[in-house]
Formats: sequence, C-alpha cells, structure tokens
Amino acid sequence: MASNSILVIGGGFAGITAALEAAELGHEVFIIEKTAFLGGRVMQLNKYFPKLCPPSCGLEIQYQRIKNNPKVKFFTLAEVSKVEGSAGNYDVTVTIQPRHSAPNSPDLSELCSALTSETPSDFEFGLTTRKAVYMDAPFAFPQRYVVDKASLSDADLALVAENEYLDLSEEARVINLNVGSIVIATGWKPYDVTRLTNLGAGEIKNCITNMQMERIASAFGPTQGKVVRPSDGRAPKKVAFVQCAGSRDENHLGYCSYICCMASLKQAQYVREQNPGADITIFYIDLRTPGLYENFAAKILADEKVHAVKGKVAAVEQDKAGDDVWLTVEDAVTGTKSVERFDLVVLATGMQPSLAENSLPFDVPVDAEGFIIGGEERGIFAAGCAKQPLDVMKSAQSGTGAAMKAVQTVRGR
Amino acid sequence: MSKTTRIEPNLQFVKELQEVGGVDLKKCYQCATCSVVCPMSPAENPYPRKEMIWAQWGLQDKLTNDIDIWLCHNCGNCSEQCPRGAKPADLMSAMRNMAYRKLVPPTAIGTWMSSPKYLPILAGIPATIWAIIWMIRAAIKGTFFPLAEDGRIVYDNLFPGDFTIDPLYGLTAIFVVICFGLGIKNMIDGFKANMPTTFVIGYKKPSILQAIIDTVRYDILQHTRFNDCVDSSEDNERVKGHQILFYGFLACFIVTGTVAAFHWGGKVITFIAPLVHTPMPLWHPVKILANIGAVLLLVGLTLLTRRRLNLDDKKYRSNYYDWYLLGVIWVVTLTGIGAEVFRLSGMAPLAFLTYYVHLVSVFMLIAYLPWSKLGHLVYRTTALIYARYTGRLPIDEKLIEDDKIFVI
Repeated sequence: MASNSILVIGGGFAGITAALEAAELGHEVFIIEKTAFLGGRVMQLNKYFPKLCPPSCGLEIQYQRIKNNPKVKFFTLAEVSKVEGSAGNYDVTVTIQPRHSAPNSPDLSELCSALTSETPSDFEFGLTTRKAVYMDAPFAFPQRYVVDKASLSDADLALVAENEYLDLSEEARVINLNVGSIVIATGWKPYDVTRLTNLGAGEIKNCITNMQMERIASAFGPTQGKVVRPSDGRAPKKVAFVQCAGSRDENHLGYCSYICCMASLKQAQYVREQNPGADITIFYIDLRTPGLYENFAAKILADEKVHAVKGKVAAVEQDKAGDDVWLTVEDAVTGTKSVERFDLVVLATGMQPSLAENSLPFDVPVDAEGFIIGGEERGIFAAGCAKQPLDVMKSAQSGTGAAMKAVQTVRGR
Repeated sequence: MSKTTRIEPNLQFVKELQEVGGVDLKKCYQCATCSVVCPMSPAENPYPRKEMIWAQWGLQDKLTNDIDIWLCHNCGNCSEQCPRGAKPADLMSAMRNMAYRKLVPPTAIGTWMSSPKYLPILAGIPATIWAIIWMIRAAIKGTFFPLAEDGRIVYDNLFPGDFTIDPLYGLTAIFVVICFGLGIKNMIDGFKANMPTTFVIGYKKPSILQAIIDTVRYDILQHTRFNDCVDSSEDNERVKGHQILFYGFLACFIVTGTVAAFHWGGKVITFIAPLVHTPMPLWHPVKILANIGAVLLLVGLTLLTRRRLNLDDKKYRSNYYDWYLLGVIWVVTLTGIGAEVFRLSGMAPLAFLTYYVHLVSVFMLIAYLPWSKLGHLVYRTTALIYARYTGRLPIDEKLIEDDKIFVI
C-alpha cells in the first residue's frame, strides 16, 4: 500500500530538521534514534557555529516543535532492523531496546545518587563516569531516565527493583512502520584515537580530543565548564591543537573533516576567555576556514597569544617525570624540527561517518569511507554528515533538502 | 627592494627523478609528518620534507648537493606514515640513485647502470674479456679445461693470477679509487656550498680524525644509526641482513687481501709465499674465514631479498638499483661457492664455467662500483663523517638529556 509517511533514521540536528520540515508540510514522520536521547552530536558541544550558540538555543526550539507537532513520532533506543519494498511503499521493522523507565518523567536523582556502580560515560567521552540509571544529556529529550541493566551491581539491582517507576522486566519490542520514503541522517562519530598510535593513541592523560574539549568547556560537563587538564585539574598555560588528527590522511580518513580547523580556533577562544595568560599554538597542514569563517579565524589569530604553525604534529609523548605532553613537529615555514612541551594537547580528530564499518540492514550505496553516495532513485535520501562532513548549519540545510526530496517522492504517488 | 631569488625549476630533472624511483613525489602536500617521524632527522632544516618540495620544484642544485640523502638510512617510517602516499623514502633513494648516475664521470657508465636495457653492455664487457682470455689459454694448453699435473682443478692454470686476474682487477681498482676520489671531492664541495647550519649547543666539534674513527666504529662496524631506524620486526630483519652481508663482505675482503699480500709479498720475502697459497686446504685459517664469509653472504642476501619481496607496494617500491646490486651479489656469492664445491668434487667443465661466471660477476660488482648502489659504501661514509664533523646530528634523546641539542 502506497504510504505518505516518511522515515528518518537518526535523531541528530539533520534528522530532526528533516523530520520537522516534512511534518510541517503535513506528512507523518517517524524518527528512529539509536541512543536514549535526541540531539546527536550537537548535544555534546559547548558552542556551535556559526553563531557560537550553546546547543540549547537550537535544540530546545526543535524539541518544542516536535512536542507541538503530532505528526512527528520518535523512537529512542531504536534501530531499523529490516526494510522491504520500494519507493512509495516501504515496510520497515524497528527494534526498540527497553528503557526500563515509566513514560512520565519522575525525578530519580535521589535514587541515582544512592546507586554505587559507576560506568564510563560515553556522553562525556570517558572523562567521567555515570550511574547505571542515568539521564546524561543536558535538557534531555525525552526527559526520561534510562536503566543500563548490564551495569547494575547487586546492591543497585535491589534499589532499582523496588523503585515503582522502573521496570526491569521490560523486554525489547519490535514494531512495523509503513513509509513512502526514507531519510538517512545517521551522522558521524569522532575518529577512533586509539588508531592514531603516533599521537598517543588516547593513552596520554593530558592529550585529549576536540570533542572531549567541548565537554570540558561545557557548563554541563565534567568540570562545570572550567577548562582544566584531566590529570590534575590545573588550568593549562600552554595549549597545543593538533590539526588533521586522522583527517586528510590515506592511512586514516582520506578527506578533510571540514570543521576541525574552525573547532580548534573556537576552542582556542574557550581557553583564552578563561585564562588570559594562556599561550596557544595550533599546528596545521592548511588552516581551512571555509567561506565566512575566514573572519572568525582572523579575529582569533589577531590575539598575540594564539599562534598558528604550519607543520603537522607526528609524535606525541607523555613527559617521563610529570603530566606534561611533548610534541615533535617541524615548522615547515622556518624548517625547524623541535620537541616542545605543553600542559594540554587537543587532537582535532576528524569526523567518520557512522556508517563506516557499521552498515544499515538494507542496501544503501556508500563510498570507501562510509559516506552515502546514492539511493535517490529508490526514494532514499541522505542528510547531514552521513553524506559528507559539514557544520551544523549546513547539516540542517541538507536536512531540509532531504525532506523536500522525500516529500516529492511520497507526493508523486 | 629586498633581494629576490629567482627559482629556476629544472622540469627535466623532476621527470628523471620520477624515473629513478620518485614516482609519487608530486603527491606531497608539505605536512611535515615525514621530518618528524624520521629518527635520523636533525633539528635544523630536517629532512625529507624539504627534499620533497625541492623535487617538486625541480631545484636540481639543492638536491644534488644535499648531504641529507646520505644521512637517510631508508627505514621507511616517513613513507609508512605519509598521509598522501607520496613515499618520501623512495624519493630519498631516487636521489641517491641520481647521485650514482651523475656524481662521477664517465657518466656513460652512470647511464648504463640506470636501466636494465643496458645490462648486456655491462655484462658483455667482462664476459668478452674473460672469454678471450679463456680462448687464448685454451689454445696454449690444448684444452678448455686444463687440470694440474696431479689431476686437481687449479683455476690458476686457466686464468693465471699474475697475468690476468691481478693486473686486470688491479687496474680496475685503481680506476674505481680515482673515480671515488673525484666523487668525494664533488660531494664535499657541494656540502660546503649548501650545507644548512645546525645548532647543537655545547657540542664539541670533533677533529676530522675523530669523526672518521667514530663513523667507522659506530656507524659502520656497529650499524648504530641503522639500528636507530628500527621500529618493527621487518626493519630489524633489514638491519640484520645488511650487517650480516657487510661482515660477509668484510671477511671476503680480508681473505682476498691476505691472499694478495702473501702472494705478491712472497715475491720479495719468498718464504711467506707458500703459507697462503691458493687453492688452500679447507682447514687453512684463511680458507675457514672465506667459507664463513660465504655463509654470511648467503644469510644476509636471503634476509634482504625476502624483505624486498614482501614489501608493501603501496608504501615502498624497490627500484632497478636495488635489484641490480642484490642480483650481482647473489651471482658472485653462488658462483663463488659453486666454484669451490665443483672444484673439490672434480667436475672440471662445470667448475671452470662457474669460475668464469664468478669472474664476470665480480667485475660487474667492482668495476661499476661508483655508479652502483654499492657506491654508498664510499658516499654514505663520506657524508656520515662530514655530518659528525659539522655536528649535523639527529634529535637524539641522549643529546636532549645532555642538553646538547637546543629544544624549545
């Protein structure tokens, strides 16, 4: 049976935008989100381009629009497990993992603080831990706790079992949806630093990734927004940014991740705003500042404490005696190879499409890197970073574009 | 107005570099990963990033006078970590090949050594010389395979050392030494004009003699620098292979030198001549050393050849210079061992034929030495001594700890 509905896979900025645009044109839309909350990577940022807003300023409006629009239905902890049919008429099977919590939104913070077991927090990129019952995203949507059953200790299990709002017996569910078109907005993941062996492979305490830096700078993050180094909580005086950590490298990601240069300039500003004495060096191959971002770059680089050095860092080592980090780099302009000590090093790790090494359970053509390169003729459209590395603004625009095409697909029938 | 330097790119030179092994040099985007991951590269004007851009721009003068191509021990770290597959290690090796080709006249030999299509000339020269000698001797002796009076195979009967081998190789050696002398002069003149400055605070410049002693002791005998290049088991195999092969050569060199010294010295002090007279019995200390040398050569060759055959094509490419040298050493070694085995087992035709091939291949190894990859034994040594002498040293942990190298 031909369907007017649209499926959106991924509840990040691009997916939400695509869903709302289509819904506001009158189409029923289903968002399938793998994690427990909507908002995707933007939720993890401290501020985002182009206006350097905190994530709340864009996402809260989107959440309001979702709440106010009965045409948008979303499923969290959900994954598409099967797709059959053709453009105009797809039968989609979705598997929803149990959340073990009631649909109303009780405040379980008292219970959480009573729990004992701690699990490394994925949301905070391992910078801190979380409890086995958690709601780790700030202004989480939906405002519902999640129970991570596997991480419950025996004592925790007893506490959770007697809580009237939690239900440990809940099982995974499978639902079927009938849609006419599919938007894939599966987004990206930070490139795995453990593969960057010459950059410390994530084992050097004060060598963090740019996404970890966002969490550290965020008021909702592990340090309440104080930019300090993980090893001793001290404000760093000398900070290095290592550009192209994995990007533009045929051994890792064979493309430019588009926004990392800007992200490092932005993060340089985080440090400089908090710590007027801090000295910052950005090591780059080419400082890429697309379009109007050039102006922002000029503003940051006008600060005499922010230096940009052409030369890719190719060796990062922990100080033998302390927590400092040593970088080896050649300044390609002056032709000097130096070994330099820093308090804190930030790796500008690139964006890897979520579909790299993790394909969807139906036929979607992707390139060697995992970016979607087709499917339009079958009414399947990619949005956001599933298609190419983008900033938030362009992700949203591509979400709108994908929604437009999805609408055309279902209307034509 | 400030003085402007006009860059004069030599595009033909870029093409030639690509032909002798630097195929991918244009892929480089100057990120400088290579200079950092190179364990040999010094603080000031490190390599091989600057060589990559010189090569792209066709700056022939800079490249041909560059000491750094010889300081590179070709561990391949740079190519392995290169984000573009530009293979800086292959470029460094291509530039060494270019030096083999052009550093020393007559450059005709350099050209012949650069491509397999000239192999017939290179092999043909010694093959003809030795064939003619064989014919003449056969005519005198009345047989192609003349045996000694007691029925043993004695190669001296067919190719008498005093009249054929020693004068021929003696002259060849003098020619090679002169060419190398010229090469060393060209190199040092170039280094003087182009060598980048190096700041090594507190580094006491050694005397030239001390620099030579240190180079021989550490860099050559112990392969110290070579060992610093190791960061994987394959690298280890390469260093081991090279070191074993080197000691095999050294053993054979000592054997040849001893035999020659006793033979020619014996003409003056007659009683020493019989002490080392070829063919020597197997228990003779010099013969034992010769056989040890042969075994070392075989082991070294096997390790190095196996490594080259297993190279990842995406990261390194072996070139003709690599294969010519390995090939010739294989032939020299196998025919050397074969000549001994067939001689002892009394298989005259096979023994003489093998010995003939041995003489041809030894000529191919020695006579073309300044234009072959084996020329590195002189050129690299020169560069290493010069680098020690001027203080162009790697950023070495020991030096950092000793506060000798300036670190920001």
